[in-house]
Amino acid sequence: MIKALIARLKQGFRTGTFPTKSGPNLPLDFRGRPVLDAEMTGEDIEKAQSVCPVKDALGFDLEGAKLDLGRCTFCGRCAEVCPKIRFTKEYRLGVFNRADLIVRAGEKSYEPPRQTNPEALALKHTFQLREVSAGGCAACELDANVLGTLAWDMGRFGIRFVASPRHADAIYLTGPISANMQLALDKTYAAAPEPKFLIAAGACAISGGLYQHGRLPATPALFIPGCPPHPATTLEALLRFTGRL
Amino acid sequence: MTEVRNFDTSDSAMSFLMSLGGYVNPPAVTPLKGEAAHEVAVGPVHAGVIEPGHFRFQCMGEDVYNLQIFLGYQHRGVEEEIVKADGNLPRQLALAETCAGDTSIAAATAFSEIIEAITPLSVSATSLRLRSLLLELERIANHVGDLGALAGDVAFLPTASFCGRIRGEYLNMTALVCGNRFGRNAIVPGGTRCELPEEKRAKLLAWLRTVKKDLDAALKMMFESPTVCDRLDGTGIVPKAIAEEIGLVGVARRASVELNGDVLSRAIIRRLEIEEAHEKLFKLLEVRSVNDGSSPITHTSSFATVVATTQAWRGPLVHAAVFDAEKKMVGYKIVDPSAHNWQGLAYALRGEQISNFPICNKSFNLSYCGTDL
Repeated sequence: MIKALIARLKQGFRTGTFPTKSGPNLPLDFRGRPVLDAEMTGEDIEKAQSVCPVKDALGFDLEGAKLDLGRCTFCGRCAEVCPKIRFTKEYRLGVFNRADLIVRAGEKSYEPPRQTNPEALALKHTFQLREVSAGGCAACELDANVLGTLAWDMGRFGIRFVASPRHADAIYLTGPISANMQLALDKTYAAAPEPKFLIAAGACAISGGLYQHGRLPATPALFIPGCPPHPATTLEALLRFTGRL
Repeated sequence: MTEVRNFDTSDSAMSFLMSLGGYVNPPAVTPLKGEAAHEVAVGPVHAGVIEPGHFRFQCMGEDVYNLQIFLGYQHRGVEEEIVKADGNLPRQLALAETCAGDTSIAAATAFSEIIEAITPLSVSATSLRLRSLLLELERIANHVGDLGALAGDVAFLPTASFCGRIRGEYLNMTALVCGNRFGRNAIVPGGTRCELPEEKRAKLLAWLRTVKKDLDAALKMMFESPTVCDRLDGTGIVPKAIAEEIGLVGVARRASVELNGDVLSRAIIRRLEIEEAHEKLFKLLEVRSVNDGSSPITHTSSFATVVATTQAWRGPLVHAAVFDAEKKMVGYKIVDPSAHNWQGLAYALRGEQISNFPICNKSFNLSYCGTDL
């Protein structure tokens, strides 16, 4: 007991100050929200596409060049071959509509969306999540688990992962939804009481990512892009979803 | 480490690939009969934030008579996709890295070694050192996380809390080197996509020294606590003979062969591997010059089956690929160390109470997605 107390004193208070008092402590080479130069041509997009690990993450249409954050793995290879793409340190990537994940060329400024849905705002002080891992690589699960450690301690905001969908306000989905997980996902989603939300975390859950996408049981109310999303991205998105940020 | 084998026909090459093995589900749930017999079904959706799998505990009274493990929920066709993506290295690499997220670095290394074996790509000694460095960081992060979780499962909260935080430090060190906490996109055929300039090297070394002290204190407390040791000692034993018969690999094999194969042994081996990994890291980081001019290591071969083995944190990770005469990839096979060890977990539970499942499971911490692919 005394040994534990001494060790506790030595290790000190370790819960981070993000997001209440400071920004996140992101790595030096962190790749956040990309920006596309207004001058980007179809040729530039083709060049970037040639090194992209995902299908259809980059595209070109009547409105010009675009990048789909819902598919992007943030590997940064496109920026290496095409200097008109630049990855910024913007980690606030969570959005409430699929269309908002499309980054357009020549975007002037970016401000993440604010929550207006009263049913989501009602969860400001208590937000219970049930996680369903459906065919992913488990990196998204690992970095979701991290939020429960004392370094992030999302419990201080009333957010936690619960054991049963019966107790959940939202289903936190990771993975591309493999054929063998479709039924289990549908049943788990159905078992959560109304009103409920679906959160798609990671490129796989949003679009299938590198893999074939299964069937989403509902339209997600929150999209958290990344492969996997950084814990700071996830925590910020969850807090903004319920109107705490 | 790569090994190249030549086959006359693609059929013989493919059958060689299949012979590398993998996990096979029990054919069906075999009913257990008797007055005290009952079954407990768990999964595929588990209570924690973990991957899906189905466990069927067949019990006689309080004791587990037999545990059947059904996997395959995570199957998404990684091997087939890698073959289909032939010619698109970034995609193949990303697929390899997502076999199992916690083993991304080892998988990227194995995949890269395969490509290096059939192309004239050379890898510099500096890149090889950087790869080893990332691999050891991956090993430590996972072992620390698991030891912390093990402490949590026996309600020894100081170590559980400390290790949860300390594991994050190692992931952040990986991110310092390459920008991603899991080492994604860091290793590529021919070398690495990141470098370790002097200021990063110095920062990493100092960081590692500080964190190592905290880690030592956290682990010492756990292993010196009689309540923890008593709980882990003699629980979930896989005897040496059984371990060899099943063909366990990695941490689980070492625990059964070098010690007595219980949860405590697996925990001790993990602590030992953490120690060894740190020694290696300090050695790697003490080399000041980045470009030491050592001759690059080159592999070449024209047409073959290439088998690459990497010492991942759970044990040997095997990737193998078959290439035809035009160097087109025609087959790919991955054997995660977990594939060999699930049977060991099932064995460890025999005669135990179901309540011992969490600590037995944590002591192995096998990958579902790495097995299902």
